[in-house]
Amino acid sequence: MPRTENDIAIVGYAQSPMLRRSEHTETEMMLPTVQGALKMAGLTKDDIGFTVSGSCDYLSGQAFSFVSNVDAYGAWPPINESHVEMDGAWAMYEAFVRLLQGDIDTAVAAGVGKNSNSDAATLYTIEVDPYYLTPLGADPQSLAALQYRALLDSGKATERDVAELVARNRASAKGNVHAQVSGDFDVDELLAADYVRNPLRRHDLPPTTDGCAAVVLARGKKAYELCERPVWITGIDHRIEPHLPTLRQDLTSSISTKLAADGAGAGNGPIEVAEVYAPFSFQELIVTEALGLGADTAVNPSGGALAANPVMVTGLIRVIEAAKQIMENGKSRTLAHATSGPCLQQNLVTILEGDA
Amino acid sequence: MTDTSHDMEPFNLQFPFTRTLGSTLSTFFSALAKGQLIGVRVGDRVIAPPLEYDPETAADAGSDWVKVGPKGTVSTWTWVPQPTHLHTLQEPFAFAFITLDGADTPMIHVVQASEDQLKAGLRVEAQFKPEGEANGRIDDIVAFVPASDPSPSVGAGEPFEAPAENEIENMDSYCDLVYIDNASPSTRLWMDSLLNGKLIGQVCPVCNRTYVGPRGLCCVDAVELDDTTLVEVFGKGVVANFTVITPTPYPGQLETEPFVRVSILLDGTDAVMGQQTIIGIPASEVRVGMHVEIEWAPEGERDVEDIGNRGYGATGGAVHGWRPTGEPDEPAENYIERMM
Repeated sequence: MPRTENDIAIVGYAQSPMLRRSEHTETEMMLPTVQGALKMAGLTKDDIGFTVSGSCDYLSGQAFSFVSNVDAYGAWPPINESHVEMDGAWAMYEAFVRLLQGDIDTAVAAGVGKNSNSDAATLYTIEVDPYYLTPLGADPQSLAALQYRALLDSGKATERDVAELVARNRASAKGNVHAQVSGDFDVDELLAADYVRNPLRRHDLPPTTDGCAAVVLARGKKAYELCERPVWITGIDHRIEPHLPTLRQDLTSSISTKLAADGAGAGNGPIEVAEVYAPFSFQELIVTEALGLGADTAVNPSGGALAANPVMVTGLIRVIEAAKQIMENGKSRTLAHATSGPCLQQNLVTILEGDA
Repeated sequence: MTDTSHDMEPFNLQFPFTRTLGSTLSTFFSALAKGQLIGVRVGDRVIAPPLEYDPETAADAGSDWVKVGPKGTVSTWTWVPQPTHLHTLQEPFAFAFITLDGADTPMIHVVQASEDQLKAGLRVEAQFKPEGEANGRIDDIVAFVPASDPSPSVGAGEPFEAPAENEIENMDSYCDLVYIDNASPSTRLWMDSLLNGKLIGQVCPVCNRTYVGPRGLCCVDAVELDDTTLVEVFGKGVVANFTVITPTPYPGQLETEPFVRVSILLDGTDAVMGQQTIIGIPASEVRVGMHVEIEWAPEGERDVEDIGNRGYGATGGAVHGWRPTGEPDEPAENYIERMM
């Protein structure tokens, strides 16, 4: 399909090293990543029409860290800047919408998270319902385990299916230079491990990761000027379910993912590769079912969130990995999924396409 | 790569706050404190515990209260083998989705049982705190335990008459988070230089600005600054801005008299050192344009405990402060309105 000035493409991207504990601040992780993405697109900081970051002060424990992080863009003279308290995938969504206004033709979106400073169990327990859940210590592992048990009881999957999925992701991650966790694992050995929260085992949990990622977007003709093979965002949609997991219609399916996929036009053609953000292993099964993916779609060739999970970045990494498949691996249509909140509360689906 | 060798002291972020409950939650928690569980009827279902709205339609959920429980049925569960400080029980327990008798939606709560008893369909009943110990919180239910008699709860589904006024209208919460940051490479360079009684900066190779202390990047050109950009700078400069603070007593405030904090632009540099102390003159005599020089703490008495990754140029316990030199002031207009 011929592209118009209302079509928006990814023309550059970069990821920082993904580390259990970076010695750098968020700003220091961001600067080379943002500037690296710009360099890939052949741009400098002064060429950018709009910048937007996704991060959360509560992760690093630094009030107004998102303000310090603006240093990574070289914000003098003053720039057009925005911030979301969400994964960088949502920052990209805002940049996409901003570009649709038509008055600028480039934007940068980044996500950054220094997760190693804080204790995830305590932190995310104050993010759930403060009246009904926080006082009980309803930590993220427990909430995920409740969802996993429901999935097993539904008969849609077995613990062996999930262990096989973990082994597959970790093996795929061997080819990902950014992976923190990768290698060949025996499914029976995985199944022999103790439960952290029955039925969740340690290998079902994502690693703790410090990291950053950034993408450069361009509109219309500008995308062709900057990139030999622009990765067009042909659909993007975000849906949310009630914050109390007890009020979802069905914990073992993801209606918000399905609606977002429909809204983004996932079913309008075959999907060669899907990069799915499943923070807990078994959630990949729920998401891929909701996306309607079949056996002909390769899921998470990067290893997904089990390989590296810098919260506030992992969703944007999925977009980058799905874009890479088009720009570097000759694929023509891929999907990126991002999630946020307990038990897959919020879901964002992006459809990416290369020119034929 | 893992770097844990430069961890700073733990930072404990604590703040208490009181949440107002609003009419729906106030009704629920006031009833709970008396050992009665309730839900709210919205359309053709009962949501328990109640919400102010129907999450499916966003309609006001109203106040058609319904008695629910105290027995219910487990629909999914998980086992917590090693409880932490977050949890209400300090022995292994289960979390479960429990649909109370008379309710159509489950709630999450604690189940005290043995792990092998747990399964979807298990009948459980609420164990309440003794009267007098209950204070209108969700943990007034100590736990659910396997029901001795699985038959339906008596009275579940009947209307609940809310009192004219609820006794519980607020809930106290306490946020308690611990962070352990690590000193970045440029922060460590600054700490070392302070302990050695020296000031250092970094010169941006693009714009030639000198930043004090090192920050690893030029925020104007967005380039990284490595060790080759390090320069020594000297402890003489000019006050570029100041504020006089009249202390109010709060935990941790040691000052009792008005004191001054100044920004200082060192001679030959381009970025001010913020939050510096002036010594030797009263706060009321501090002026923009005033020449000052550094007074180090004696070697061996310098500490950098308060130095973090931000507040570039902070000198912490390594420096007593800055003393006016008595030289004629510089024109204030050359120094004010500096952004950095």
